[in-house]
Order: sequence, then C-alpha cells, then structure tokens
Amino acid sequence: MIEVAVFCSMAAVALVSAVLVVTLRNTVHCALFLGLSLAGVAGVFGTLAADFLFVSQILIYVGGIAVLMIFAVMLMGRTSDLTLRQVNQEWLAGLLVCAITAAGLLRQAKGFLGKAADAPARALAAQAATKPLGRLMLGDFAVPFELISLVLMAALLGAIFFTRKEDEPKSTENGKPGRGGGT
Amino acid sequence: MISRAWLIPILPLAASLVILFFGREREDSPLPFVGIAAIGASLWIALRILFDVALGTLALPYENDWSWFSFAADLKGHPFILDMRAGVLVDGAAAAMLAVVCLVSLLVQVYSLGYMRGDAKFKRYFAYMSFFTASMLGLVVSNNLLVTFGCWELVGVSSYLLIGFWFEREAPAYAAKKAFITTKLGDLGFFLALLLTFLYAGSFNIVRVKDVVEMGYMPPFVVTLIGLGLLSGAAGKSAQAPLFIWLPDAMEGPTPVSALIHAATMVAAGIYLVARCYFVFAASPLAMETVAWAGLVTAFLAATMALVPYDIKRVLAFSTVSQLGFMMCALGVGGYTAGLFHLTTHAFFKALLFLCAGSVIHAVHTNDMRSMGGLSKRMPLTFLTMVVGAAAISGIPPLAGFYSKDLILEKVFEHSPAMFGVLALTACLTAFYTFRMLFLTFWGDGRNNERVSRAEESQAVMTIPLLILAALSLVSGWALEHAWAASPGAAGPGAFASLVGPGVAAAEHGATGAARHVNPTVLAASVTAGACCFIALAYSLYCGPDLGAAERLKARFLPVFKLLENRWGFDAFFLALVDIADRVADLAKWVDTEVIDKVFVDGWGVLTRIAAEISHLFDALFVDQAVDGCGYLSRDWVGAGLRGLIARGQVQEYLLYLAVGVSLFAIMK
Amino acid sequence: MTLSHYVALGSILFIIGVFGALTRRSVIGILMSVELMFNAANINLAAFNRYLHPTGVTGQAFALFIMTVAAAEVVVGLALVLAIYRRRDKIYMEDINLMRG
Repeated sequence: MIEVAVFCSMAAVALVSAVLVVTLRNTVHCALFLGLSLAGVAGVFGTLAADFLFVSQILIYVGGIAVLMIFAVMLMGRTSDLTLRQVNQEWLAGLLVCAITAAGLLRQAKGFLGKAADAPARALAAQAATKPLGRLMLGDFAVPFELISLVLMAALLGAIFFTRKEDEPKSTENGKPGRGGGT
Repeated sequence: MISRAWLIPILPLAASLVILFFGREREDSPLPFVGIAAIGASLWIALRILFDVALGTLALPYENDWSWFSFAADLKGHPFILDMRAGVLVDGAAAAMLAVVCLVSLLVQVYSLGYMRGDAKFKRYFAYMSFFTASMLGLVVSNNLLVTFGCWELVGVSSYLLIGFWFEREAPAYAAKKAFITTKLGDLGFFLALLLTFLYAGSFNIVRVKDVVEMGYMPPFVVTLIGLGLLSGAAGKSAQAPLFIWLPDAMEGPTPVSALIHAATMVAAGIYLVARCYFVFAASPLAMETVAWAGLVTAFLAATMALVPYDIKRVLAFSTVSQLGFMMCALGVGGYTAGLFHLTTHAFFKALLFLCAGSVIHAVHTNDMRSMGGLSKRMPLTFLTMVVGAAAISGIPPLAGFYSKDLILEKVFEHSPAMFGVLALTACLTAFYTFRMLFLTFWGDGRNNERVSRAEESQAVMTIPLLILAALSLVSGWALEHAWAASPGAAGPGAFASLVGPGVAAAEHGATGAARHVNPTVLAASVTAGACCFIALAYSLYCGPDLGAAERLKARFLPVFKLLENRWGFDAFFLALVDIADRVADLAKWVDTEVIDKVFVDGWGVLTRIAAEISHLFDALFVDQAVDGCGYLSRDWVGAGLRGLIARGQVQEYLLYLAVGVSLFAIMK
Repeated sequence: MTLSHYVALGSILFIIGVFGALTRRSVIGILMSVELMFNAANINLAAFNRYLHPTGVTGQAFALFIMTVAAAEVVVGLALVLAIYRRRDKIYMEDINLMRG
C-alpha cells in the first residue's frame, strides 16, 4: 500500500512539475521545476528497486544538468523575457498532436493490463543493483562503456571549442564564458 | 691484359668528363695531361694485347660481354625475354685498330699541346679530343652492333664539335654542319641495315649475326640490302663517293683535329665497319662488287681533285679521300688483309703529313702553298719528316705505303685488270700531287720572302710526335710484313695477314674467285716506276721559284682544271638537290597556305560557324525557353506555394510535422 | 502497481516533453523538454527491466548509458546555444531560420 502511495506521489510530482516546466513564462522557474520533476523521476526509480539509477539520477540530473540549466538561463536571460510569450504560435496545433499521440500511447499502455508480464514482480525480492551493474559495465559492456567515455570526452572538447573566444580580446566584459562541461 | 680491354674506351671517356667538368679554362691548365695519361694507359693495354698475341700466349678473337638490358618480346605468339648484352669483341683487326687509334691519338694530343697553346678554349679542346677518342675506341671494341652504332654517332657528334671548334668564324660552323648532315645521310643506310639485321637475326651480337649469315638463314637479297646499308654508312663516315663532299670542308677545324679525325681514325671507321661486318659482304657478291666500285671511283675522282688546289690541307683532304677509296676497293675485291694493312700504314703517314702541314701552317700562318716555298732551310725537321710521309704515301720502297699499296694493287689485279689500270694511274697521281705539295711548300725559294723569312722550326713538343710518326712510316710496312713471320701463330708470308687473317681467310678466297697469278715484283716495280715518273713531272712543273709552267698548263687545259676545282660538280649536285628540295618545300608551303588553309581549314570554319549560329538560335528559342519555363514553374508557382506553406525555416514547425507522423504510428493499431 | 502504470507514466511524461519541444520559444526551454523526454525513456527502461527481466540489470545499464549521452548532449547543446547567443544575440527559435527556403 505504501508503495502505491509513494509511486502516486512521485508520479504526481514529476508530471505536475513537467507540465509547469513547459508552460511557465519565467524561465528560471522552469529550470527549478525541471529539477523537481527530475527528482520525482528519481523517486519513481526508487519504487522500481533501481537503487543505483536513483542515486545517479539525483547526482547527474538534479545535481548536474538542472543546475547547468539554471546557469545557462542566468547567463542568457533578460528581464524583458518575463513580459514575452514563451510559447510559439503553433502551440494549439502542437497540443492537438500531443493529445492524439498521448491517446494512442495510453491505449498501447493499457494493452499490458491483464497480461502475465503485468503481474507484480513481488516474488523476487529487490536486491541491490550496484554490484551486478558494475560487473556488467566492466564485463559484457566494457566496449560500449569505453566508447561512451570517448563520447563524453568529445562532448567536452566540443563544448570548449564552441564556447571559445575567437578574436575579441575584451573577454573579461562578458564575465566567465559558459564553461559548460562541469558535469 | 685482354680482360681489361673494356677499359680502353672507358679511360678516355672518364678523362674527357674530368677535363670538361673540373678546373677552370686557363692557358696553362694541367688538365690536358689527364687526357694524355688516360690515352697513354689505353695505349699500354692495347700494346700489351698485341704483344701477347705476338708471343702466342693469347688467342684471338676474345669476347666478353655483360647484360645491358632485357625486355619481353613476342615471336609468333611465343613470349620470351630478350636479353640485350653489350661487351667487347677483340679480333685481330680490332687489336691492330686499337693500337693505331691509341697511338695516333696520343701523339696528336701531345702535338696539340704545342699547336693549341694560347687558344681560348684550350681545356675544352682536349676534352673533345678525349671524348672523340673514347667514342672511336668504343666503336672498335664493341661486340654489339647497336653499341657500335651509338659510338658511331658519338664519333659524328665529337667530329661536329671539333670541326666547328672555332665556331665563332662562319666557315668552321658551316663545315661542321655540312659534315654532320652529310654523314647522317649515310647513317640512314646504316640504321636500316641495323633494323634488317635485328629483324632477321634477332640479335645485334656480331658473332651471332655472323653465324646467322654464314649458315644461310638470311635470304640473299636481305644480306645484300644489309651490305648496301652498311656501305652507305661507311661511305658517309669514310667520305666515299658521292658523300665525300664534307671532308675537304672539314679542314676548317684545327689541323691536329684533321690529323686525328680526318686522316687516321674517324674516316677509318667506315672502312673498319665494312671489315668488321665482312661476312655480310662475303655472302653477297653484289654488295662486294659495289664496295669495290665505290672505292675505285672515289680513289680516282679524289686523286684528280687533289691535283689542283693550292690550299695545303685541301690537298691532304682529297688525298685522304683517295686513300680511303684504295682501302674500300681493296675490301671490295676480297683483299681484307690488304685493306686493313693500308688502313694501318695510312693512319701513320697521313697523320704525319697532316701534322707536318700543321707545323708549316703554325709557322707561316697561312694555308696557301703559293705563299710558301723554300721552307726546307727554315724548318729542317718538318721538311725531313714530311719527305718521309710523302714518299710513304707515294709508295716508294721500302716505306710503309709501298707494302700496303702494293698488296692492294696485287689483289685488284687478280680481280680485274681494268680496275687495276685505273687504280695504278691513281697511285701515280697520288705521287704527283703529294710531291707537288712538297715542292710548292719546301722548294722554290723566295715566292713570298716576308712570310717565309719569319718562319721558324716548331717547338719540341710538336716535332717529337713528327719524328715518331716518321719512324713508324719508315718501318711499319716492313715490320708488319715480316716481323711476325717467325712468331708462333703466323700462318703465311704476310705477318699482318696472320694477325687479322684467320677469321676471314675463307671469305678472301671465296671472293677472289679465279685468281690471275702474276709476279708481284713486276707489278710493284711497274707502279713504282710510274710513280717516280710522275714525281719527276711534278718536279719539273712546281719546283722552280715561279709557277709559269704550271700556269701555262692550266691555261691550256682550263676546262679540265675548272671541272676539277669544282670537284667534278658534286658540291653543285648536292646544292642543286637542296635547291630542288627548297622549291618543293616552297610549293608545298604555297599549297598549304593557299589551298589547304584557305579552302579546307577556313572554309570548314565558316561552315562550322553557320551551323553553330543555327544551333544557337534553336538553343536559345526552344531549349533555353523550355528550361526557363520549367524553372519558372517550379520556383515561382509550386515552390513559392510550398515555401509559404511549410518551409519557413522554423525548426519547431518541422518538428511538428514529424510529431504528426509519429502520432499516426501511435494511433495505429 | 503494474507495468502499465509505469508505461503510462513514461508516455505522459514523454508527451509533455514533446509538447514543450514543439511549443517553447526559447532554446533553453526546448533543451529542458528534451531532458524530460530522456527521463520518460529511462522510466520505461527501468520498468521493463523490473517487470520482464527482474534477475538482470541490463535495462538499468541502458538507462545509465542514456543518462551519460544526455549529459553530453546537454553540454554540447548549451555550448551551441551560448555560441549562438554570443554571436547573434538571439535565443528564440523563430529568429534562427537559416533553413528558410
């Protein structure tokens, strides 16, 4: 019963925050609610007994990416933005498309009800996933693991390359340039 | 020592490169001694080879070759690798020739140290000299006809360089060109002969070609063609009729050059080539007969032409041509040994005569014999040596020329008495013009006291070669005839024959056919007596201080003199040929510019332009308009509509279209 | 709790992200929406892992990979946005229309 309560509350937090993220006019608020929504997703991971994912979600998304977003907003934001519409002209069409897609997706999801796979996996006690994950990463998935580190490296270099000052010597005026690779 | 035979041409070649590329042009440059040392070393090797042969410790011919290059060939569908080899082939004739060329070249180079002193191109002269000698030696030793041909052409090139050595003046430059182009005319035949040889024998190796010819694998007419081609090349290089016209002009080069190239070596190359490929002529009576007649005609014509000029070097040039004719004729009648014998002795006494003439010219600074006279007291050494040379060429016993010329006449008599008659007359004429030159130069005091009184005997570096050559002219005939008689390997009375003979004995006998036996002594005595008569005639005409008698004779037979001075019209004939070629070229040019260019090229251009205009009109009116119309439709109708509708550059709109697509998947079941 | 609940939650979160990506005017807003979509996918992966293959952790491993890629993506994305902002002083999508036909 408590599991249902936790799932419902966490799902609610994630969904409501997500809706606010895409609708609020103040971008700073959007970024803050993004963090909240991500934290809700972390809670959902918790109900799935994915303990390592839970911690990673908090560390990377809430602690890293959300904070990065807030930095970016602060770097590029202007007070004039608050008076401007943050939603474009096609929002109605977008809403319509999204509603149709959502209806379709939910109908698909409903298809899982009553199937054998839908049974709660209670028979198997939740066990710590950290150790098997570590074995997997350094075992079967060693090559993708290394590749992903290469991707990260490339991303870091790319970020530095894009945000590099090109020719203007007055770099101090802009303050610190967005050194975004801080994850 | 024979195994070092390949060094003989290589040493002078290296020396020429060293002289050409090192050091600076100076009057007292030491570099000429490099060339002299190199040719000295070559001479040493060549003499050692001869010595070994004389001792009987060496059996000729000696052949050794190396792989040069190889290429894939195809014979009637059978591919194979043809290995082209090049190397040395030393037979008796080559051994003798090597020694002669090295010796004369050495002496001439030493002589040139004195003659060319002070010339602005002192060093370059010796580089050319060494280069020429290397080419000539390469021609002599090569066992590969292709290499022989290459050296043959190099000889031509170096001769061009040396004749035109004083190219600042017009006459040497013209003479060099004339010599080069005329000899090229003959080389064309040589080249064709080479092609035919390779086509039918599949090899350039002389020994192998010889085998093929002697086995009778070659059709007779091909052998004849090859022989005539070789003769054509030899006629160009050895100045045989009618290609001798370049040699008198080639006297524009320095006199030592004339001595080396146009007396002893280069002009001997043609004779040597015929001798080297004697098997071809032996297999073809027609080619053989042609050689004989070419030699005979040349000998006679040149001897008559030598009667009239007053330029001392011209006389010697015509004399050279005449003597080469003797050799050619000897080869043609089957006198292989006689021809080569005369080639050897002639190299000595003709080089001697040229160097003496050079010494005289050096002293009096003119070529005109009418300005000389009475030099015998001023230049005793030159005088004495020149008397030896003149006596040798006239066939006075016991000098060198007597033996060799006697042998030739004997062979010719065996072949045909008529030819003998002409040749004997030529021999007498030889004595006449040689002594005419001698008398004009050294007797008859005081024709031009100013020049003569300033003349002095040349320095030692020039006279010592003269003395050596004079000694050789004195004894070489007798020595070559007898010295080897007692040595091992001598197979007959003629020692020279034993050196060069073995390889061609069969050919000689085959070509001689029905021999007319005659007492050689009678022949020799009669010809010598005739020569002495003509010498006496020359004495009566040209010995005195004034040339009145000679002038009166000339006035009486003026047309004959004119004909001889015009060289029997050969120059005019070739000039006329050139003139005809010029006219043909003019006509061809007129046809080209006026007919072909105007009608075909320009007319075709006009037609093309008209067609192009029509094509352009069609293109502009129909094709372009159609293309523009399509473009207009797609851009301004369809494109504009679509652009206004969907392509507005808004990424989110594109994303929306994507989402619409995805939503279709989502609602599909 | 059943698999359907989790799938439904992921779907809705994803659709919210899609909506944001379609309608937000600022580039940063779009980036945030993309992050929401990533998270929806992660929820699905973790849920399928838990319900269909409870003894393994492969789904979670995939989720981890996605997190890493997302981190890289947001880093590069923000760097690009910053470069565009610095060069053209604009962060609204309708101003960035180089692809206009």
